[in-house]
Amino acid sequence: MKIIIERDQLMQSIQNVMKAISPKTTIPILSGIKIEATQEEVKLTGSDSDITIESIIPKEEEGIVYIHDVNPGKVVVQAKFLPDIIRKLPESEVEISSDDDLNLTIRSGKAEFKLNGQDPEEYPQLPVLQTENHFDLQIDLLKTLIRQTNFAVSTSETRPILTGVNFKLENNNLELVATDSHRLASRKIEMDKQEDSISFNNIVIPGKSLTELNKILDDGQETVQVSVSDNQILFKTKYVYFLSRLLDGNYPDTSRLIPDQSKTEVKVNAKELIQTIDRASLLAKDNRNNIVKLVTQENDVLEITSNSPEIGTAEELLQTKSITGEELKISFNAKYMIDALRAIDAEEIKIQFTGAMRPFIIQPVEEEQHILQLITPVRTY
Amino acid sequence: MKRRIIFHVDMNSFYASVEMAYNPDLKGKPLAIAGNPEERKGIVVTSSYEARAKGVKTTMPLWQAYDLCPNLIVMRPNFERYKEASRLIFTILSEITPIVQPVSIDEGFMDVTEVSKNVDARELAQTIQNRILDELDLPCSIGIAPNKFLAKMASDMKKPQGITVLRKRELHEKLWPLPIGEMYGVGAKTEEKLKQLNLFTIGDLAKANVMTLKQLLGVNGERLHIRSNGEDDREVDPDAVYDFKSIGNSKTLPFDTTDEAEIMRMFKTLSEKVHERMKTKKVVSENIQIMIRYHNRKTITRGKQLRDYIDSAEAIYQIAFDLFQTHWNQEPIRLLGVTAQQLTTLEDASKQLDLFNYEAEAEKETLYQAVEKMKEKYGDRIFKKLDQSEPKMSTSFQKDFLMDYKKKK
Repeated sequence: MKIIIERDQLMQSIQNVMKAISPKTTIPILSGIKIEATQEEVKLTGSDSDITIESIIPKEEEGIVYIHDVNPGKVVVQAKFLPDIIRKLPESEVEISSDDDLNLTIRSGKAEFKLNGQDPEEYPQLPVLQTENHFDLQIDLLKTLIRQTNFAVSTSETRPILTGVNFKLENNNLELVATDSHRLASRKIEMDKQEDSISFNNIVIPGKSLTELNKILDDGQETVQVSVSDNQILFKTKYVYFLSRLLDGNYPDTSRLIPDQSKTEVKVNAKELIQTIDRASLLAKDNRNNIVKLVTQENDVLEITSNSPEIGTAEELLQTKSITGEELKISFNAKYMIDALRAIDAEEIKIQFTGAMRPFIIQPVEEEQHILQLITPVRTY
Repeated sequence: MKRRIIFHVDMNSFYASVEMAYNPDLKGKPLAIAGNPEERKGIVVTSSYEARAKGVKTTMPLWQAYDLCPNLIVMRPNFERYKEASRLIFTILSEITPIVQPVSIDEGFMDVTEVSKNVDARELAQTIQNRILDELDLPCSIGIAPNKFLAKMASDMKKPQGITVLRKRELHEKLWPLPIGEMYGVGAKTEEKLKQLNLFTIGDLAKANVMTLKQLLGVNGERLHIRSNGEDDREVDPDAVYDFKSIGNSKTLPFDTTDEAEIMRMFKTLSEKVHERMKTKKVVSENIQIMIRYHNRKTITRGKQLRDYIDSAEAIYQIAFDLFQTHWNQEPIRLLGVTAQQLTTLEDASKQLDLFNYEAEAEKETLYQAVEKMKEKYGDRIFKKLDQSEPKMSTSFQKDFLMDYKKKK
């Protein structure tokens, strides 16, 4: 194999596939990047067996040549040093070649590196996903969906299924749900009419996969094709294939968790609420649940307080747009509230409470987007 | 620093004295209180002075005690009685001054500096001793000194019913001639080490080189050296009672065992005991630890960090037994222990409710609300959770009574 390739394009691809490579892998071959060169393109692959990322560098795009010379072939090269080597090469063109004994040479200008390669035949074959079960999404929309839900996945392995985001597609509605059993984030969108209307409801994508996917995808109007099989999901853009394992098990039915009535409703400016809670929680960071207390008062005022037994107390009054229904005193984790408000990203939000020991709902007042955040309070003794 | 007057009040053979107060027929007779007379660890917990005169000692196996004193009367401990007696003793002490620090069920320090401005300290001690004897029929010894260490040493000097004043200028005649093993803070192992340095009396220690002691015993060496010179700047701290970090119970099995049913039962009992004590102290735990001692005395402890507070015997048992099953090497077991660590008082505790099972808490919400309203109206003190049952007593309750003492004060 031999390629002469633009360094910047190569670097970009290496950085993409590096996101899938784990330094702690137990499968030695997966500590490497697979490089495959054909006459049309160079493809890099990285994998930790949960996530596999393929990044493609086309020979040329819109008249700009990325690959200057190709002698087809493939090789696996140790990923540990590759990014630094390529980044620090002196010239903008890089020559990579490998011989039959898997000795790899990287040349640029007068610099030359010789690395030991590994046998590409040992690299696990990627399952070929049948792409019948697929739908398209705009990339920036997908990124928003991830941002609005993925933060709420569980970081604890107590219930592994909760470490992922549940994707449901029914009646042309795509819904994402994530919960760590203390709070829940849900976002729903209506899909464009797809030619083959497909549906699924028990697809659970590991939160970690979505975090990496979000990093790799560039904001933009382009679309990503999402293909789903029983145990894997493939996100495919023009030059990046992102394949993730799905979580085993049944995602709990979360629709029943969402209260269908409310006893107290507060409408308030989201930014002001975030700032107030952020201030109040300064002193609460030390206590284990980062607790702030919210009390409704006369004249649509909310009192927000926190105290740390040995440090002190914080108290602030916040003028809301309106408070209707019963009086309420409730304690909750400040971080959950701030996360939820940031995810909603609306100017004005409404919070619906059904009592101090029951989960409450946060939604934008203007329901142009179907987003719902649910937080379970903290019980103080 | 201001000169202080510290009392150390030490009850004389406390458990035996309480039994004698309950049943005056026992007075003047050799009496021993022993854990479990039938089982192999039946050892003397305490004995009356009459029994001690025959050579009966604390921690001596019962058979040996009988050998020395054939007419020995042996009783099982009645912790309920001792606890009650202890409470009454500390009530008397705290009527003299609020600065009382209970150290265990039968001894405590008092700072009487203020009180003694008008009364002679020795007379005050006499008054205390008389009241405890007259009102409770219990003997005690009192040490009077300028600090805790000397007061403690002083109360030991004359028993029973002694009152001893230990002044700093008297150290060379009263304290220093004592054998090193008698010094408070010197255990058997430390005694052994000090003797290797040819330090046989407290005086030897007081004159020894600090660096040498530090090398031998670390910080403790330095501390002992300071104490032996009659210095101790620790205050009498009435709140020291609250400095508990864990609650643990352990129990030796009657026979070394590998019988899992027996072990399960044991863990159930231990968990219940730990839970009882947690309830008494009104605390919840976030970390459960177990101890396994094998037939060959090899001992391991294993713990588990929890995500939520636990406060039920069942939960403690589940975790303890899980830990056991994970770590048991199948060898015969002599002793098992369960300890609840990382304790938080209920007032400071909070619980993040769970979406999938908050209902259990939510059902009680109206009750909580009512309680809250009442508290707002009448103040925090109007409600007190009913202790479901009076905690059962066990041998390791020694420190728990202290909480009761605080609670009832």
